[in-house]
Amino acid sequence: MGIMPLLIICSILVAGGFLVAFLWATRNGQYDDMATPSIKMLFDEQRPASSETFQD
Amino acid sequence: MKQVDTVTGSVVCAHCGDPCADGAIVVDERSFCCTGCSSVYQILQSHDMCDYYGIDPKAGISQRTPRYGADAYAVLDDPSVMHRFVEFQRDTTIHLRFEIPSMHCASCVWLLDRLDRFDEGVQSSEVDFMRKTVRVVIDTRRTAASNVAMLLSQLGYEPLLHGEGTEAATDHERRLRLRTMYIRIGIAAFAAGNLMMIAAAQYLAVGETIDPTLKRVFDLLSIALAVPVLLYSAAPWYRSAWGALRHRTVNLDVPVALGISTLFVRSVIDIAMGSGEGYLDSFAGLVLFLLVGRLFQQKAFDAVSFDRTYRSFFPLSVRVERQGAEHVVPIDQVSPGDVLHVRNGEVIPCDAVLTSAAAFVDYAFVTGESVPVECSDGALVHAGGRVVGRGARLTAVKNVSQSYLASLWERNGTKTDRRSYMDISDRFGKWFTAFAIAVAVLGLIAWLPDWQMALTVFTAVLIIACPCALTIAAPVTLGTAIGRLSLRGIYVRNAVTLMDLTRITAVVFDKTGTLTEAVHRVQVDHRDLSDEAWQAVQAVAAHSTHPISRSIAGSSVSSNVSDVEEVVGQGIRGTSHGYQVAIGRREFVAPGDNQESDTTVAAWLAVNGQLAGAVRITPTLRSGVRAMIATLRKRLAVVLSTGDSDRDRDVFVDAFGPGQMHFEQRPHEKVATITSAKGTNGRVLMVGDGLNDAAAMAAADASVAVTDGTSTLVPACDVVMPAVELQHLPRLLDYAGIMTSVIKASFIFTVFYNAVGLGLALAGLLSPLITAILMPVSSLIVIGISVFGARFYARRSAWE
Repeated sequence: MGIMPLLIICSILVAGGFLVAFLWATRNGQYDDMATPSIKMLFDEQRPASSETFQD
Repeated sequence: MKQVDTVTGSVVCAHCGDPCADGAIVVDERSFCCTGCSSVYQILQSHDMCDYYGIDPKAGISQRTPRYGADAYAVLDDPSVMHRFVEFQRDTTIHLRFEIPSMHCASCVWLLDRLDRFDEGVQSSEVDFMRKTVRVVIDTRRTAASNVAMLLSQLGYEPLLHGEGTEAATDHERRLRLRTMYIRIGIAAFAAGNLMMIAAAQYLAVGETIDPTLKRVFDLLSIALAVPVLLYSAAPWYRSAWGALRHRTVNLDVPVALGISTLFVRSVIDIAMGSGEGYLDSFAGLVLFLLVGRLFQQKAFDAVSFDRTYRSFFPLSVRVERQGAEHVVPIDQVSPGDVLHVRNGEVIPCDAVLTSAAAFVDYAFVTGESVPVECSDGALVHAGGRVVGRGARLTAVKNVSQSYLASLWERNGTKTDRRSYMDISDRFGKWFTAFAIAVAVLGLIAWLPDWQMALTVFTAVLIIACPCALTIAAPVTLGTAIGRLSLRGIYVRNAVTLMDLTRITAVVFDKTGTLTEAVHRVQVDHRDLSDEAWQAVQAVAAHSTHPISRSIAGSSVSSNVSDVEEVVGQGIRGTSHGYQVAIGRREFVAPGDNQESDTTVAAWLAVNGQLAGAVRITPTLRSGVRAMIATLRKRLAVVLSTGDSDRDRDVFVDAFGPGQMHFEQRPHEKVATITSAKGTNGRVLMVGDGLNDAAAMAAADASVAVTDGTSTLVPACDVVMPAVELQHLPRLLDYAGIMTSVIKASFIFTVFYNAVGLGLALAGLLSPLITAILMPVSSLIVIGISVFGARFYARRSAWE
């Protein structure tokens, strides 16, 4: 049973890491706008010369 | 290479996709419908940004409609104007926020996210697609706010520039508020999860003894996890409860704050005394559920900005003639005596006297009358009118804040006064709190000789009586309902509004733009004319800037016309293709013809001296409106109140019935109509569309503004509804009624549920384990009823 306190502290630390990551993301504005990024992910920055894509 | 419409086979514009007329502009072998579209293409081409066309084929916005002139943006650099668009500023870095109503597809997002490629001074730009805004970070040493607005306009994304614009600051606050909310939820969820894990170990250890050191670690950890929840996550309830108590009232947050603090204190005492495991897991879970309820509420109500004043209708600036030159001046700096130049399509910012020959002013926003008014030299024109056709030269007689429109607005009074109905939850909270405290005290007295048991029961009652499920029921139901409605473009101001809609007993409709299409159909009766003669009429009409002439002319170009003579207030005469054409008043086109006048005719036509036809402006009812009114009349009183003249009486008489129509009503007369309807019928809903209805909307118990989608000018109101949805108004009322029932069902459920819990508490049987099960289950069931109810009825009874 002696391992228990250690295990619990470890698990709380791991969870705490996620909490810190969540707080960081929120303060950075990651949750400000949930709709636009879903559109942006479709864009391909490495598109070749633009004139080609223009023609259907 | 040409882009060809696959259906019609005609050449379409490579930018906006509209069909090109014969005079298409060809650049790089691509056809464009107008110079506007081709210049947007050229800007994109020169910055190698033509990927824009590859993302969404319907990306480009037609540039045929006139835009603000380049000088309209210069005023943005005036600090008193610019601050309305500034979210944040540090040294030379400014975060600007523009509303862009024309944003509509992925290409728009792509392009507007890359404004830094067009202007060196733009550091970054970021689109919020849902809110149709773009946030631009600029370096003021290298560019100016006006340049960015100008660039947006050149790309076809004209930013919304209106005279109010506190939205930039409030939007910033909104985002910060939402972030705080997420952080509160994150911390509560973290604590709740870990506390449950620790508590589960103790609950499961029945019969076995836990190692004392381990027990100590558990206890300390539990308290350490619960403290941030108490101090930070639950803070909104203490604040709200304290605010209510300070104003000597009780809202539903009072018993909640009491419940959660009792829960915490009792748990810590239990743990410290070694008399039990405490309820900290229930405590954190409870706060988490409460926060989720709040989030629903917040998200739904943030969806749309409702608090606009008459100033949102106004431009930022106006051209003023000073010392012989034209200056662009913020409208607040206009003083009486200034000479203003207002161009076609612009709104007159203050009451003024016309000093140019003649002008047409469209007062649709102010009076609701749909046909532009013709004004001649020396006439007084009112703020809020839109100049149509030719530009006008005006001399200001009042400054902006003293104009007729401003006084109209101020007379509305404050909207909050009429909210005599308290929020349903708060009303409930009053007696609930009293009841909970009374039962707790009774329990205490009943167990009295046994002090320890008495206190246990006392706290247990306060804990179980915490009306968490009740606080969740209303916001989650209404929040979900408001969210569902906004998917259809119907925006509801707040939850109370939805409740108000269920108590409506009479509906008052405005006509123009509400029941009828905003643009009236011009009906030209030209049966007696040959095709050539009709073309001649159109050619002559194209010469005039009068709105009626414009609609006769349609798309025809004024060619081959001679001897044109336009008489202000009378009509226009001219010769084309050998036909002598006259359009205008009866006396003007056919002098000496003494037939009785026909009030439904807006203008007459004559060819070669013979009366040849009449132009009628007929309102077109929106689709489904007639059926909608019939449905409403079955259970409510329905009244028409319009600023228009009664020439269209016949169109409405069968829908409304003869006694229920009021024509030529000025805004204050509409208010009187509402007041009298209130007297005879009880609670009144006003349905309107323009600023002319604003006073009536404020006087009514609830108001619905109908928008055409194209217009962003919506007066302050409770519900914003797209015109196409108006036919579903009865269903909206039904839906609001069902939502009230759903909330009541949740309330009844919690009352029974809590009664059982209360019984256990009074018997002293409320162990931590039972609490840990009872409390979250009741919250989950209420959230379930609320969300499922709102969604289910949105789908079934209301629409699809």
